[in-house]
Amino acid sequence: MKKGKMFLLDIFNSLLPVLSAFGIGAIIIILIGGNPLTTYSIMFSKTLFNWNGFLKTLHFASPLILTGLAIAITFKANIFNMGVEGQLLVGGFFACVVGFYFEGLNPVVHVILGLLTGITCGMVFAFIPAILKAYFKVNEIVVTLMLNYAVIEILRILTQTIYRDPTSGYVSTPAVASSAMFYRIGGTRLTLFFPLTIIVFVIMYIIFKKSRLGYEVTAVGKNPEFAEASGMNIKRKIIYIMLISGALSGLAGAGYMFSEKFKYTLDFSGNPGLGWDGMLIALLGRHSPIGIIIAAIFYSALKTGGDIINIFTNVPKESVGVIQGLIILFISIRFINQNTKLFGNTMARFSTTKKKKNEEVQK
Amino acid sequence: MNIIKTSNITKKYGELIANDNINLTFAEGEIKAIVGENGAGKSTLMNMLYGLSRPTSGKIFIREKEVEFFTPLDAINAGIGMVHQHFKLVPSLTICENILLGVEIMYKGKFGKTPFIDSKKEYEKVQEVTDKFKIDLNLKDKVEDISIGLKQRVEIMKMLYRNVDILILDEPTAVLTPQEVDALIIDLQELKDKGKTIIFITHKMSEVMKLSDSVIIMRRGRVVGDVKTKDTNEQEIAQIMVGRDVLLRVNKEEIDYSKSGVIYKLENISTKNLLGKEVLSDINIEVKKGEILGIAGVEGNGQGELVKILTGLMTSTKGKIIFNGRNITNWWPVDIREAGIGIIHGDRYAQGLCRDMTINENIVAGYHRKPDVSKRGMMRYGEIAKKRDRLVKEYDIRIANPDGNVSQLSGGNAQKLIIAREFDSNPKLLIAYQPTHGLDVGSIEFVHNKILELRKQGAGVVLVSSELTEIMSLSDRIAVMYNGRIIGEVDAHKTNIEEVGMLMAGITNKRSNKI
Repeated sequence: MKKGKMFLLDIFNSLLPVLSAFGIGAIIIILIGGNPLTTYSIMFSKTLFNWNGFLKTLHFASPLILTGLAIAITFKANIFNMGVEGQLLVGGFFACVVGFYFEGLNPVVHVILGLLTGITCGMVFAFIPAILKAYFKVNEIVVTLMLNYAVIEILRILTQTIYRDPTSGYVSTPAVASSAMFYRIGGTRLTLFFPLTIIVFVIMYIIFKKSRLGYEVTAVGKNPEFAEASGMNIKRKIIYIMLISGALSGLAGAGYMFSEKFKYTLDFSGNPGLGWDGMLIALLGRHSPIGIIIAAIFYSALKTGGDIINIFTNVPKESVGVIQGLIILFISIRFINQNTKLFGNTMARFSTTKKKKNEEVQK
Repeated sequence: MNIIKTSNITKKYGELIANDNINLTFAEGEIKAIVGENGAGKSTLMNMLYGLSRPTSGKIFIREKEVEFFTPLDAINAGIGMVHQHFKLVPSLTICENILLGVEIMYKGKFGKTPFIDSKKEYEKVQEVTDKFKIDLNLKDKVEDISIGLKQRVEIMKMLYRNVDILILDEPTAVLTPQEVDALIIDLQELKDKGKTIIFITHKMSEVMKLSDSVIIMRRGRVVGDVKTKDTNEQEIAQIMVGRDVLLRVNKEEIDYSKSGVIYKLENISTKNLLGKEVLSDINIEVKKGEILGIAGVEGNGQGELVKILTGLMTSTKGKIIFNGRNITNWWPVDIREAGIGIIHGDRYAQGLCRDMTINENIVAGYHRKPDVSKRGMMRYGEIAKKRDRLVKEYDIRIANPDGNVSQLSGGNAQKLIIAREFDSNPKLLIAYQPTHGLDVGSIEFVHNKILELRKQGAGVVLVSSELTEIMSLSDRIAVMYNGRIIGEVDAHKTNIEEVGMLMAGITNKRSNKI
């Protein structure tokens, strides 16, 4: 198949689940008693076609771009890091600790120190499944998935005990010092975290398209036997890729902490968490870098749009959650269709039997 | 009576015409061979007869009745069965269960069918069919325990049980040992006597002559010859197939390598497999500059492990490998290549190339750390594209889209790509494992000539192959492997096929100088 045609098919395959989800979402909105057209138009005009709204969307898209990348990168090596959520939480939490522990530091030093802490924590946490996978052939999906729950509970204990802010009315850590907060650009919601995300994105793009590491990782992902026969150290590549993924997740957590949340609460990452959102974004963006940016911005608009329809219409914001769920469902349907010929064959049979029947009728 | 007739069948994949107006007839009860170069369209044609793909235009008639197949099941119902090159069996089930997969026989109770399998009746039924066709199978053996030859027999049985009249075999002998090939030939002749029609795709001229009644020759999607086997000969078929004269024997210059130095030496190389069983014991071989050492042996006697050790994919537990005076035992593949050893792996799509990566990416694989390919951690794709253009021209690799993936290449061109990659760095030693496996005559000739060219330049070659004619015609010296050992070594100019064949079977005599 030609490249252009493939590209169009890719776009179509990404748009179809989204459109189908909105279609069914519209039915639900009608059942609730709202008008889907006005709901959708309010949602998108306030998040994408309004300057301040758009900046807010970009602001919330930043951690999503990073978690989306974190997933897409491991996918390239044909390994699956399901622990992006946990790595993000660890990164965010310890960045927060650095944020409130030091006071009166130079803001630049403080933010960088916090981000580096977040990155390191994410990497340390990704290192465990990486070692197990590379040297003991333990399935990384299981390890990363289960470690998420361990992380959530450990952080809950830490938040409830030694790092608890006694002055707060609910379970949370103290807020980070003002020197650890990201600078807001021109008084909008957008902080320097967004340009930082874009810089990281460009670096990742270059690494994966142009560097030797990117080349070797592609080979490991596509055909491990070939990669090994060509002299690539597969174990080391698995560890590198998991560490990069963990670093991106940790950075996403730390950045989200310093640009939006400022303190660690038990619902820091929201529900579903930013790591899980990243998985959806990687799928929606078909694991391509540009696709991930577009998908992240779109998804962020959807998330922030939930609050908006809550305010401006009588449709509850949960309906957006329904649409998110439907997108996930429709994406998996596309996957089934891609991997089986079943559908194609039945269609072919159907069309010819129909043709034959028509011929018979004409006779 | 013609059992199958195709009329003007054309199959297009995009702009590529895989089959161009094929008009063929198959007589009932004959054995028909289909030969042709890689990419000539043989498999495409067979896939359409078996319902795996549908013709773009044209019609298929079975017993003069027009048919249209959507799935292989339609083809089976019409009496056509196919055995693929790669078997589709469930290893953990018995032979009997595999044969009945999908058509299980159920217990019949008082109230009709029950959901339980009647294994006793199943066994009897299958035994009946195997007896009828005189096919020797122990039905209660598990498929994971049986040899490749037997697995193929199971595949054939699967089709016979479903009562097909026409049996299509796609390169049935590619995976078999010589003894298994003989057994298969006997089986197929037995089937022919029982009135079945057999169509088989092959690359081997000797099988065409031995087995078939008539032969179809294809080239570039067209049928270029349809002749009775008894009216033709190997030379003529090969010539029609490639459209020009082919040297079935290679022209080898005599080189006096007796005075040249040893470039590659194995001392007591031994290794164990994952289960701890010793699969290689005390391998000692020497290769001189400008010499081709052939390593012959029936597949599965340790050649695979030996090649893995030589190419750095497996470690030896004992012994030393000396290359050019350096000890390179258990080095990484990339270091082995850097030291000046070219490697042609046995399975070109598993270890040799990556189908889903571009030609650019493949043409530097294994050499991607060299400064002309990557610098300071970054790949130099501009330089690589230049290198690709040069090699594509030099080695006459036919590609439709230079920036596309390797998957577009036919087998012969894929092998040319590997040879271009490995030979371009001027190796001092070449390790070639089954370098012409599954290739057509033209490509085989190309590969052989390239290896001889390398020999002329003074490089040593280790040629590991189960293709005895290849070993005989290329090598200067032949070492024969049996049961993980070198059982004997003979001078290629003073030996004959019988002597090597005896060694391959594990029988030693006085003439061979044992080590």
